[in-house]
Amino acid sequence: MIQTSTSPKQAAFEKSPVIVELRNVTKTFTVAGGSEMKVLDQIDLAVHEGELLALLGQSGSGKSTILRCLTGLATPTSGRVLCYGQPMEGINSHASVVFQTFALYPWLTVEQNVEVGLMAKNLPRAERDAAVEKAIELIGLSNYHAAYPREISGGMRQRVGIARALVSEPAILCLDEAFSALDVLTAENLRHEMITLWHRKDATLKSVFMVTHNIEEAVEMATRICILFPRPGRLGLVLENNLPYPRDSKSPEFQSLVRTIHETITTLTLPDHPPEPTIVSGAPISRARNRMESIPYVPVGQILGLLSILRDTPDLTNIYDISNEIGKEFGETIGIVKAAEILELVDTPKNDVRLTELGQSFLSADRIGRRLIFSDQIHNLRIFHIIIEYLRLQDEVEADQILKDIASALPYDNPEKILQTMVAWGRYAGIMDFNASARTVFVLKDEVEHAPNV
Amino acid sequence: MNPELPQLKASEHRGGFGLMDVFIILGIIGLAWSIIHFASGMLVGFDERAVPTLDESVWSIPYYAGRTLLRMWMAFGCSLLFTFGIGYAAAKSRIARAFILPAIDVLQSVPVLGFLSATVAGFMALFPGSLFGVECASIFAIFTGQVWNMTFGFYHSLVTIPGDLQDAAATFGLTRWQRFRTLEVPASMHSLLWNSMMSFGGGWFFVAQSEAISVMGKNIKLPGIGSYMAAAVERGDNTAAFWAVAAMLVVIVASDQLVWRPLIAWADRFKMELTESTEAPGSWFYDMLRGSVVLEWFSRRVFDPLVEWFAQLSVRRNGPRRVVAKGSAKVQYLFYVCVFSALVLFAAFYAVRGLVDAAKAVHAGVSLEMAGHIAWLGVLTMLRVFTMTLLATLLWTPVGVWIGFHPKAARVAQPLAQIAASFPVNMTFPIVVGLFVAWRIPMNWGSILLIAMGTQWYLLFNVIAGAMAIPNDLKDAARTYGLRGWALWRTLILPAIFPFWVTGACTAAGGAWNASIVAELATWGDTTLKADGLGALIAEVTQRGDTPLILCSIGTMSIFVIVTNQLIWRRLYALAERRFRLD
Repeated sequence: MIQTSTSPKQAAFEKSPVIVELRNVTKTFTVAGGSEMKVLDQIDLAVHEGELLALLGQSGSGKSTILRCLTGLATPTSGRVLCYGQPMEGINSHASVVFQTFALYPWLTVEQNVEVGLMAKNLPRAERDAAVEKAIELIGLSNYHAAYPREISGGMRQRVGIARALVSEPAILCLDEAFSALDVLTAENLRHEMITLWHRKDATLKSVFMVTHNIEEAVEMATRICILFPRPGRLGLVLENNLPYPRDSKSPEFQSLVRTIHETITTLTLPDHPPEPTIVSGAPISRARNRMESIPYVPVGQILGLLSILRDTPDLTNIYDISNEIGKEFGETIGIVKAAEILELVDTPKNDVRLTELGQSFLSADRIGRRLIFSDQIHNLRIFHIIIEYLRLQDEVEADQILKDIASALPYDNPEKILQTMVAWGRYAGIMDFNASARTVFVLKDEVEHAPNV
Repeated sequence: MNPELPQLKASEHRGGFGLMDVFIILGIIGLAWSIIHFASGMLVGFDERAVPTLDESVWSIPYYAGRTLLRMWMAFGCSLLFTFGIGYAAAKSRIARAFILPAIDVLQSVPVLGFLSATVAGFMALFPGSLFGVECASIFAIFTGQVWNMTFGFYHSLVTIPGDLQDAAATFGLTRWQRFRTLEVPASMHSLLWNSMMSFGGGWFFVAQSEAISVMGKNIKLPGIGSYMAAAVERGDNTAAFWAVAAMLVVIVASDQLVWRPLIAWADRFKMELTESTEAPGSWFYDMLRGSVVLEWFSRRVFDPLVEWFAQLSVRRNGPRRVVAKGSAKVQYLFYVCVFSALVLFAAFYAVRGLVDAAKAVHAGVSLEMAGHIAWLGVLTMLRVFTMTLLATLLWTPVGVWIGFHPKAARVAQPLAQIAASFPVNMTFPIVVGLFVAWRIPMNWGSILLIAMGTQWYLLFNVIAGAMAIPNDLKDAARTYGLRGWALWRTLILPAIFPFWVTGACTAAGGAWNASIVAELATWGDTTLKADGLGALIAEVTQRGDTPLILCSIGTMSIFVIVTNQLIWRRLYALAERRFRLD
């Protein structure tokens, strides 16, 4: 049932014709300070006829950029985009997009909003009205013609978004996190309708390409799931999903597919390291010390929260269970765990998360003790040395200078966000602060001397 | 107070042809007739040596008011066209933006009134022997007074359209025209309307001033309510002056009630947020129009087909999606670049030549000593502007905050302040000056009052708006902590209204520079009162037609305005944005 991309079944599937594909696509953006950030790195991805392809990844992994490349909203820095084998130029006329924010024009009625989807086609009025009427009926908006978007609920708004995308009879429908702004029940309902729409054989709609960070959503809807890993975005795993529709999220097959994806993400994001002589030596050996490693954009409060939960519920170890417990998306949870891990406050053997000894003593320390441990751990992270080196020589340093250094050290990261996170961690550790109006990072005057670790 | 109520009424009316429709048909016919009637008066012959006199009768006031109103609307139409063209270009092209934004910034700071003499001469040369030249000069003066903030506002809303709305337009392959119509104009409608309303209000000042011009030693009076007022004051005819002021007020209030309020009510649907607003702006006139069968017939049978036809035309012209091959698109692009750079070079050539000529004239006609004197006068006027801003702030901040905290009072006071800001007080200057003469008030101080008369209202209604915008939970919090008196002002009120105060004070100060030209030199009958200041100098040399001095004094004032903008207002804006934003 679950095959990786090299399996024979996958090969058979690939015989169905390709509608649109990315070939060796790389995309870089210019970020603050003029340096380049590589968002996508050599992506190959094809959307075949008849499939419902889900691209799964956490926020910032570049999945929306892939969607924008496929639809022609963005042009790759290098590589090619082909539509039915032809190099694509400008907007992809075979694709329509449904947006996360709905992107409805608030000053147009439901009917007029749907009509926007047909504007590019120079249709006579009668034909256009008929097409709009058909789309409105198909998506169940019949009584809402004259309503304005602000007068209807979020679910209804997204229906308008879908009707607008379908009215021009595209071959491929692109959903950009189309259900994530909706409440759980509405989203579930719309997902079912989406599958039904895609199943109808009479329509010109051949395929659906959806971008999501929700693992269950991808498993519930897609025939094929691609997992995108961040910094820079690259495809990590391609799974085929042949479960029959309608899919029961409680069924063991469904659950096992979800678990496979969890495990893949966990092993790739939090790789296991050779066993460390933690117990023997009494103190863990720093792994981060010797290489420049990025830090997840996680506020200190969330790391502390994770540690408290680990202490208070000792049998809670599986990272997926933790994710459910704290009510966060799996991707976000992974980020928090990773942050705690590079600070050596937790360890992550396989899919488990455990407090390290340092983590234990951190939790039992008082405020100053915690600050000292945090400060020591920060000093072990090489990325922090960019700032620490500057602050050793002078009392304050300009943020732009630091941003430039971060950008050259971590070309796949957003330097602004890294700096924000570093300042937040550094504030907690009491070693630095940020002056927003002068845009400088400065040494805290009442800095506590770094006593040797407990 | 129920916002639903007018809508219900409106739909009841929609049943059949009513009395209202008769009025509307009559109104449309009347409007068409007046436009033709008043416009025909613009094209009459004009001889510089035999300047036609104005009809002194009070009964001719409606005609003059109509002429003034037509002038205003023509100027506004030009401003709107300019706004769409230039604002759009600035938003869409990086090259165009690099020229347009700084140019607008400078032009905004130039005292328009000082240029009247030059423009009158220029337009008269363009239409020799016709009154239309003078009309154009007046319209141009109004245009330059109102266009800049409209253009800037339009540009700003174009570049801040949410990205996903633009993406949607792109994925559905909308043509430029379709995008303009369905996305760009609606998205900027709100800012466009408010800026238009402000500009239109500011325009009355310029229309009143530009109708009765004495330039190059000539006394030109355009038929209009501003010149009627000027003539009445010259004669010392108090009754006529009173009726002129009353007529002016009626015209301003009518413009507000019959045009701007309905437009604002109509434009409520163009708000960006997707939540339903609790209190939609209402307009009795708009509700009335909505019930009309005639207008609905007109919109369905005439307006919609026209829009449709135009839309079809634009699609056909642009072709269905990208038929242009890549090569020819490049050629086309190159062609546009060539044309554009040719235009820019052409304009730059004339600008540079004009600057060189101006510099030569100034060098020849203005001694160093004179230049120093002009700078000193500039300092005096600047002090006057600042004193006015300070006094108006001290006076109107408490009043504005009180009004803002009492919604009922605010509902009455805010439109009144807006009308007061629109009223061209320069019409009444001679009367006030008469009082100065009677009470022996020195003009050096009196002129501060004259300047304040027109510009203080911007401060008032911005402070009211600021006080109204303070969130209730902040007020409640202050109350639970027992904040009172100065503590309340310092912690809540002053910081919260600061951004609004900056907007109001900046507008008031900008207007004050322009007002100084008419406020520092004023005539009552035979008495002429003059204050020491740059405004008085500009007024004087403009009447005399002394070109080098005109150039030098206007240039000095522009520099003063630009420098104070950069050194004071920009910084205050930045501070307000950084520290005192309420979100």
